[in-house]
This record gives sequence, structure tokens and C-alpha cells, in this order.
Amino acid sequence: MSFHSTELGAMLVVIFFGFLPNEVWRVLGVLFGRRIDPGSVWMQWVQAVATALLAAVVARLLLVPSGALVALPLGLRAGAVGSGIAGFLIVRRSVLAGVLVAEAVLVAGAWWLGVSP
Amino acid sequence: MLSPQVSPPLDTAPPARWFARGMRGAVSTPGLVLVATFIGFGGLLHDLAFPIGAGLLSTLLIWALPAQVILIGGLATGASPPALAVAVCLSGVRLLPMVVSLMPLMRGPRPRLGWELLCAHFVAMTLWVEGFRLLPKVAPEGRPAYAAGLGLGLTLLSMAGTAIGFYLTGALPGPLAVALLLLTPISFAILLVRNARQAVDWLAIGLGAAISPLVANSPGGLDLFWAGVGGGTLAFFIARHLPRQRA
Repeated sequence: MSFHSTELGAMLVVIFFGFLPNEVWRVLGVLFGRRIDPGSVWMQWVQAVATALLAAVVARLLLVPSGALVALPLGLRAGAVGSGIAGFLIVRRSVLAGVLVAEAVLVAGAWWLGVSP
Repeated sequence: MLSPQVSPPLDTAPPARWFARGMRGAVSTPGLVLVATFIGFGGLLHDLAFPIGAGLLSTLLIWALPAQVILIGGLATGASPPALAVAVCLSGVRLLPMVVSLMPLMRGPRPRLGWELLCAHFVAMTLWVEGFRLLPKVAPEGRPAYAAGLGLGLTLLSMAGTAIGFYLTGALPGPLAVALLLLTPISFAILLVRNARQAVDWLAIGLGAAISPLVANSPGGLDLFWAGVGGGTLAFFIARHLPRQRA
């Protein structure tokens, strides 16, 4: 049993390693918002790092999955996300349409392959 | 862009009324898409055997799905909590320009620090988009209460989604349970494409995604850190040395 598998331990981890490091940006935005230039070179770098980080999260969830997703072949995982992006671009840049297309591809593929987690 | 001269007529409704109107504003198409992604997050919590109470607390307090997935997904792979705090902190940077740009609309005519901090807490992708759509229609006196109501409404809906996903995923047949789990990466991928405007954004997406599997299981649980800082910095410098061109 690790520390964060208990309810109280997990709550402390959420507060100290999730809430505080995340909330600091919102507080800074309130306190120094009028003095920060969102177009500065420093903020551009920070935005690039934040974007790369989010892309890395997606890639890790897709390529190195854990839990029930391991049962899905890599081609189907990547194909579902790719068709979702295509659906988003084709159907008037609608996020909902993209999500629905990806989920339809995924469910059909998983059902056809007989996947059960 | 926004002209304060054409603000709506004076409305003397009490803050509680504005708060309630804000909460009602949360029930909308973007609000429902948000609930769906939090149902996916709830499924992920169940899949990774993370306690539901702490999962709900993460939706209430962190209120930023990428940070929540980084933290809880990272814990499941055995990453060290301090390394995850660094990754969470880096992922939260995007909230700062969101708060800075939306705050003039949420602040109201008599700024109070407490209200500003409360409104800023609810700033995330959905409130940012919905705030620009809804707040200009609200009388300036009511905007802080309306924004807080909107934010709390979205948060409560998302907490309900988290709980539904957590308890639903065990009861669903295989293909549907898998669909629930992949909802989070699918919606993140689409939002990345939606928000990408310049070459640096596309480079950061490509490099971050490409480096991530290469550094998986790097010592100290720092793989997200390397992919984010390394890929982002590389994208930043490559974009600066590209010939200036506007599509």
C-alpha cells in the first residue's frame, strides 16, 4: 500500500502537489496581472513549454497506457484520436463533433476486436 | 475590442441573484462537453485505483484537467510527488494569461481582492471561453457574483461527472468502458489542435509528443518534465529561427 492509495493520503497529495503548484498562477494573475505583458518573450517560452507538456501527456496516455487501455491495440488508440482531430477540422471546428467521431471509431473498433478490459 | 461605454443598464439585483443566474449559465453546451470529459476522468480514477474522495477534491481545488491527469496518472506510474508538483506547476502556466485577460470582465466597478481571487480560481478553459461570451451581457455590478456562480456551477457539474465516471466504468461493457477511458486524451488532443495558431504551437505539440515516449520511465519520474521543458524550449528556439511568415 502506498501513501496515496489511502483517502486521506491522496487528499494531502492533491492539496500539496496538485492544488498549490497549480493555483499559484491564478493568484499571480490577480496580483500582478496589470503589470505582466502576455506577449513578452518570457511568456512565449512559458506557453511553448505548457503546450509541449500537454502534448506529452496525451502521447503518454496513448503510447504508454496503463490499466484497461492496454487491451486496445496501439493502431486503434492512435486511429481513434486521429479521426477525432479529422472530425473536428471537417465539422466546423466543433470539439463535440471531434469527440463523437473519435468515440464512434473507438467503440466500433473495440467491439469488432472483442476487447474487454 | 470590448467597449465599456455600452455596458448594460444599471441593475440593482442583489449579489445572490447574480450568483444564481451565473449557476444557471453553467448549464450549456460547453458545460455538458466539460461534464463528459470529467466522466472520462472519473473512469481514469477508477482504472488507476485512486480514491474517489481525493479525486473529487482534485476537481474542486485543482480545477484544471491536464494538471489532474498529470498528478494522478503520474502517481500511478510511480513518479515522485515533488517531480509531479513541478510538472503540474508547468502545466498551470497557461492559466496566468487567461486570468489576466478575463479579469477586467470579472472584476466589476468596485474591485475587491477576495472576490478577484475567488473568480480567478474558477478560471480554466471552459470558464475563460464562456466568460467572454456571457459576462459582457451582465451588469458590471453583478459580474463578480455572476462569474463565481458560473464557475461554481461548472465545478459542481464536473464533480458530478467525476463521480458518475468513477462508479460507471466498472458497470459498463468492455468497449464502452474503454471509450470512457480514452475520452481524456481525445479531448486534450482536439483542444491542442484548436488552440494551435502559430508555428511554435505546432512545433511544441510535435516535439512534446515525440519526446514523451523516448523518456518514459526516466529516473526520478521526470519524464513529463523532460518532454515539456525540453520539447517546449526546442520548439521556442526553432520557431524563433524560422523565417518570419504568416499563413
